[in-house]
Amino acid sequence: MEQFLIKEVISKLAAFDVEHVQGKVFFTTSANVKKLQGLKSAERLFLLLKKEPPMNVPWNTGKAKHVIQKKIIGDDRVWMDTLSTWQILQRDLNDNSSYKSKTKNSQKRKWEEADKKEHNKKMNLDGGLVGSPSQVDLERIPDHQESIELDSGICGDDGKSSVCEKVSQEDVSLNHKELSALFRVSCRCSGSIAKRFNAQELGQIIGTAITEQLGWKAELRDPDVEVNVHLSDAHCVLGIPVFRLPLAHRTYIKTTGLRSTIAWAMVSLADIKAGTTLLDPMCGVGTILLEAAEDWQGAFFLGFDINESQLKEAYNNVQFANLTENIDLIRASVMEIPFPSASVDAIVCDIPFGRKFNSETDMRTMLPDILKEMERVLCVGGNLVLLLSPQLSVHLKKYFNKECKAANNAISSSEHTEDAGTSSQDTNGKMVPFTREATLKENCNSLSKHFASLVPNGTYRVSLGATDALIHRYKKVSI
Amino acid sequence: MKLLTHNMLTSHVKGVTCGYPLLIQATEVKLNDVDFNAEFVARMIPKMEWSALVGAADSLGHLNDLPKDLVSDYENNEDFLRKVHHILLEVEVLEGTLKCPESGEFPVSKGVPNMLLNEDRVLRHPKTWIGLGCVSVCVVM
Repeated sequence: MEQFLIKEVISKLAAFDVEHVQGKVFFTTSANVKKLQGLKSAERLFLLLKKEPPMNVPWNTGKAKHVIQKKIIGDDRVWMDTLSTWQILQRDLNDNSSYKSKTKNSQKRKWEEADKKEHNKKMNLDGGLVGSPSQVDLERIPDHQESIELDSGICGDDGKSSVCEKVSQEDVSLNHKELSALFRVSCRCSGSIAKRFNAQELGQIIGTAITEQLGWKAELRDPDVEVNVHLSDAHCVLGIPVFRLPLAHRTYIKTTGLRSTIAWAMVSLADIKAGTTLLDPMCGVGTILLEAAEDWQGAFFLGFDINESQLKEAYNNVQFANLTENIDLIRASVMEIPFPSASVDAIVCDIPFGRKFNSETDMRTMLPDILKEMERVLCVGGNLVLLLSPQLSVHLKKYFNKECKAANNAISSSEHTEDAGTSSQDTNGKMVPFTREATLKENCNSLSKHFASLVPNGTYRVSLGATDALIHRYKKVSI
Repeated sequence: MKLLTHNMLTSHVKGVTCGYPLLIQATEVKLNDVDFNAEFVARMIPKMEWSALVGAADSLGHLNDLPKDLVSDYENNEDFLRKVHHILLEVEVLEGTLKCPESGEFPVSKGVPNMLLNEDRVLRHPKTWIGLGCVSVCVVM
């Protein structure tokens, strides 16, 4: 997903200093908080506290703790600056009408996490935007708490220990004392450090350091800020979530199907322009259509599904999202699309696979027919974007394999030599390989003839949490 | 179902060769208020089958005074684009049926047409009869 994110932050936020590591994209922007909220391909957005190379932790546990604490906290001004930026962001966020304040923020460094696992998927939507917009205070949504805690280990006993720790910490510099926050640490760790300490222990170590050195107050149940720490062999990243809900949680989607971030990424490959008609011929609950209609205006979106209950969900979703203007739903089969040839500008489709429908084997045999129908209704120049399981991806690639043509040539040349030099061979020995070759050749021919007008135009691997999937893009050309 | 969508829909019953345009028999039509986007309409018009669009609008009694033939230079004719916008997006068929000009019909319920074929539908319309019907239609045209 990183490549989608990078493109998006540059185009939507005019972001610069864009860097990325696996699963994370770092950037700097002066865009306002509403624009940040409009990011579609990111899972979560954090204000970056610090990004450092991985730590070398000494063997002695006591020393190790000390090193971690020293390294994590470092210069406390960084923490205070970040906290005040974060508070400004929260103020802007709560103050819905205040567009005037958009320029006052200095540049903020953020990091985004592209492929977190789907912990936060099931969340109560109504909890999303309640709360009183008051100064720095965040909305407090009790049932939201759970979802964040799922993220990773939380420092266990911090709340109790911090109270007495704080008394002994008098030498926190004065100007910082007024800038304090209720916090909690969320830690994820992997690699060598994970062998020494578990996430819980690390959270505790870091939490203690924050209370001691910064004078912030630990609060497990209802913190203002959640310090997210991610330690691995590759990096050491600290950040504070900008929004309580993950970005991937869409307030406009009632029933979730495909992951919203991936649906958006797929749509972004369809090259939608004003007047584009986009079809999802197996729309399910309509996630792709919603992501498309929500972010691309001046286009028209059509969804098919053969299943009545799925289509009903899609219908409710479209109504709920208030996107009826641009979306029409039709009960129809992808095998018999009730449209004339060359009638839609783009097709985006999540090809069902695996556990949900138990249709992997069926899909393998159906896929060529499905693709043929898609090829037929697509306009020349139009994009076809498919989401496929790794197995189906490999399967489909066979149809577009250039080696197939090469194999064809090789076969015909070998036939040639064979013909020339085997006049003395007995017929049995000759017939067997010949027929095999012939069928192979026939297969290749029929395979490549299948989708003559579709040209592969990129493959992207994305994570669905437990499994990976591949986005294939094809362009229809005139033949 | 908006008339934009209707303009694309065609019957795909086996053996039907002239399954377009589908005749609308509406029992409930709703008029929506949709924001006007001139560029969208202007780009959509060349993709539409104009006579089918006019026919559909007429059959629902929402033709207003839209011309039977597409005017030239419509890109800059806001008045015209607004009228097209209205029939493309604002007229919505909620309940009714879509009749194939040759044979078969597809129900529309809650604004969602059901274009699935069932065995019934195929059986009721033998191939030979349909083939002949179509030839005569095409000759007339």
